[in-house]
Amino acid sequence: MPGFAAAAADGAYADQLVERARALKLAERAEWRKLLHYVPNLIAPGMHSLVDSRDFFNAPDGKNDPRAELEATLRSFFSDAADSAEQQHPQCRFPARYGWLAAELAADPARLPRPECRRYRDWRAAVDAKQLTLVFASAYLNNPGSMYGHTLLRIDATDQDERTRILAYTLSFAAATDETSGLVFAVKGLFGGYAGVYSMQPYYVKVREYGDLENRDLWEYELDFSAEEIERVLRHAWEILPAYYEYYFFDENCSYHLLGLLQVARPDLELTAPFRLWALPVDTVRVLTEKPGLVRNIVYRPATSTIIAERLARMRPEERRMAKELGLGTLDAGDGSLRALPPERAAAVIEAGFDYLNHRRTTGVSEVPDGGALARELLVARSQVDAPSQTPPIEPGVRPDQGHRTSRLSAGAGSRENAAFVELGLRPTYHDIVDDDAGYIGGAQIEFFNLRARRYEGADARIESLTPIDIFSLSPRDEFFQPKTWHVSVGWQRTMTRDGAEPLAVAADAGLGGAWRAGGKVRFYATAEGAARAHDDFEKGYAVSAGARLGALIDPLPRWRLHAYAQQLGSFLGERSDPGALVLEQRISLTRDLALRLDVAQQREAGRSFDSGSISLQVYF
Amino acid sequence: MKKLVAVAAVAALFPAVAFAQQNNIGSCGWGSKVFDGQSGVAPQVLGATTNGTSGNQTFGITFGTSGCTQDGAVRSTWKTAMFIDGNKERLARDMSVGEGEALDSLAHLLGVEQADRAAFSRIARDNMQRIFPSETAGTEQVLSNLRAVLMSDAKLARYTVAL
Repeated sequence: MPGFAAAAADGAYADQLVERARALKLAERAEWRKLLHYVPNLIAPGMHSLVDSRDFFNAPDGKNDPRAELEATLRSFFSDAADSAEQQHPQCRFPARYGWLAAELAADPARLPRPECRRYRDWRAAVDAKQLTLVFASAYLNNPGSMYGHTLLRIDATDQDERTRILAYTLSFAAATDETSGLVFAVKGLFGGYAGVYSMQPYYVKVREYGDLENRDLWEYELDFSAEEIERVLRHAWEILPAYYEYYFFDENCSYHLLGLLQVARPDLELTAPFRLWALPVDTVRVLTEKPGLVRNIVYRPATSTIIAERLARMRPEERRMAKELGLGTLDAGDGSLRALPPERAAAVIEAGFDYLNHRRTTGVSEVPDGGALARELLVARSQVDAPSQTPPIEPGVRPDQGHRTSRLSAGAGSRENAAFVELGLRPTYHDIVDDDAGYIGGAQIEFFNLRARRYEGADARIESLTPIDIFSLSPRDEFFQPKTWHVSVGWQRTMTRDGAEPLAVAADAGLGGAWRAGGKVRFYATAEGAARAHDDFEKGYAVSAGARLGALIDPLPRWRLHAYAQQLGSFLGERSDPGALVLEQRISLTRDLALRLDVAQQREAGRSFDSGSISLQVYF
Repeated sequence: MKKLVAVAAVAALFPAVAFAQQNNIGSCGWGSKVFDGQSGVAPQVLGATTNGTSGNQTFGITFGTSGCTQDGAVRSTWKTAMFIDGNKERLARDMSVGEGEALDSLAHLLGVEQADRAAFSRIARDNMQRIFPSETAGTEQVLSNLRAVLMSDAKLARYTVAL
């Protein structure tokens, strides 16, 4: 180790580098801010790092003091401690910081210790990065924790190709939790109840988790980084892999922190800046695709359920029946009807039957007593049919980053019982069933904090409704799949009372039923409904009602959607509200992020009836 | 040394449950999890909820050393076994049609040369029943059957080195 002993004692050179760093104001540079994850304080002057683990910093107050941290880091590089697996030398523990500081200060390596960094080198060799790819897992409606989708970073190795990509490693950021209840996870996550950590897993684990078990389509965005830029990201990945963060869903979530890792690739690449308030995974993907030349290629990896749907769409009714019966175990794989088919068709039927059975097993609805044995039987039968794979090619459709933007502002005018009004609406996030589905999961509505304010002619402006949570899952049933259709919303809403007041009542609504398709353009649904309203103005302070709703979504033209429904509820507790409604909503898309909305309704509530109509312009931003 | 012994144990397909109890390397979850048949490492990892990593799993919070990973990277001696453990279902499916990315990835891990890929796929398909003798076949069983099948083929026998 030439120079090691001498360098260790070289306190004078350390002072000199610290002086140089001060003169160059390195602590104020964007590179340093990004490497330490500093963000401006919300109110007080100064900044703080989002990282919460103590050993991420070298200075006692490194979390809040970029300059002190930089100087302590510089001095730590002169440590004469040996580098070992248990205790890495600071140069090895923080290779990105070391690389940047040494280059900016033109440090003479001969005057610094030169630890071997075996642990980092081993890891770096194992991941063998050639390309970085951001993977977006689309939403999965039945788990509130996943509704916005998820992102992870894939490290593509030199010796892999498209056929062996599942062997790549991935880095993802997630809450460290064993919580299995999606709702508890969602609520606790909102308030920072979990620590966030990075984890590294082979992509095959993720593909199985998202694609096979949760049926989420994956989108792979290959990034056009140079070898040097990839090196910077990996060095920094090594620094933050052991770190943890207080975890918040909305801003400090998985996607935010992946961008924080990626943006160290280039000094001028700013990815996290737009996301102080919201970081929806799809928006973080959009930021990448909007940087010119950053995304090289995009690969679509359909989920098992998407593949099954396509298999079935390509079959004749008779083949579909056989596939279903194979999956249910009611048709034997050696049956004559199957043998009578040409090999390609028999193969397609058996493959679909296997996928169907597997899908039911993973979603827990299989009623076959020994599903595992049946699955193997089908595979054995398939291996005896001499035909190539019948997995159909699947057209990707509109990408998630190409859908409408996730916030919506609307302005409109209308009248109710001859009283004119103007209305403003703000929906911070994310999508409703009348919006254009392109790039979204069709029939999945997720709205948070939807606010509508209205001013009637000659009256003061008032809040019409504020709905913190509104979820609607409309999934058509067919001969193969029988999902439930349901909705739930909680918030405040103007509600008529018997004596004519219209207070802003606490409102909770829920429905459960089924949906069906009628041709390619019509989906209709029927739900049993329950509604509760609470306000002092009501008799006993509340109204609880139950009833039913019938509705339809119709797409006459690509840009035009109608949502019509009729509902009637009877009140059985508290105020006799007996709410009923006939509603027709229409959306006409003008551009991707601009739409016209026309609503007419006839509502009955507390013995009164109102006709209303409105027109509004909706801007997605 | 212990590591070497452990690797040798897997290669020789000893019942590693017992083995893991007498030394300390079972930390990757392998000693107790992988080798008792159905419940592999992967099902446990996969059991974690969406967006949540579950505590102390093989691929969970990964920094540091465990029996088969180092800082999140799978040790080269474990790569194939770990892959098979996490992809049994996909592998069986790919073998039944004689193609697919799980089968390609396995061939890649075993170092099967392009010229031998077609033969590899064919033999895997012809012997799918033998490699996966039952739906509950454990990783060690699949490994050993695959090894036997490849050994029976003059051209492919040399690829059992990585098994």
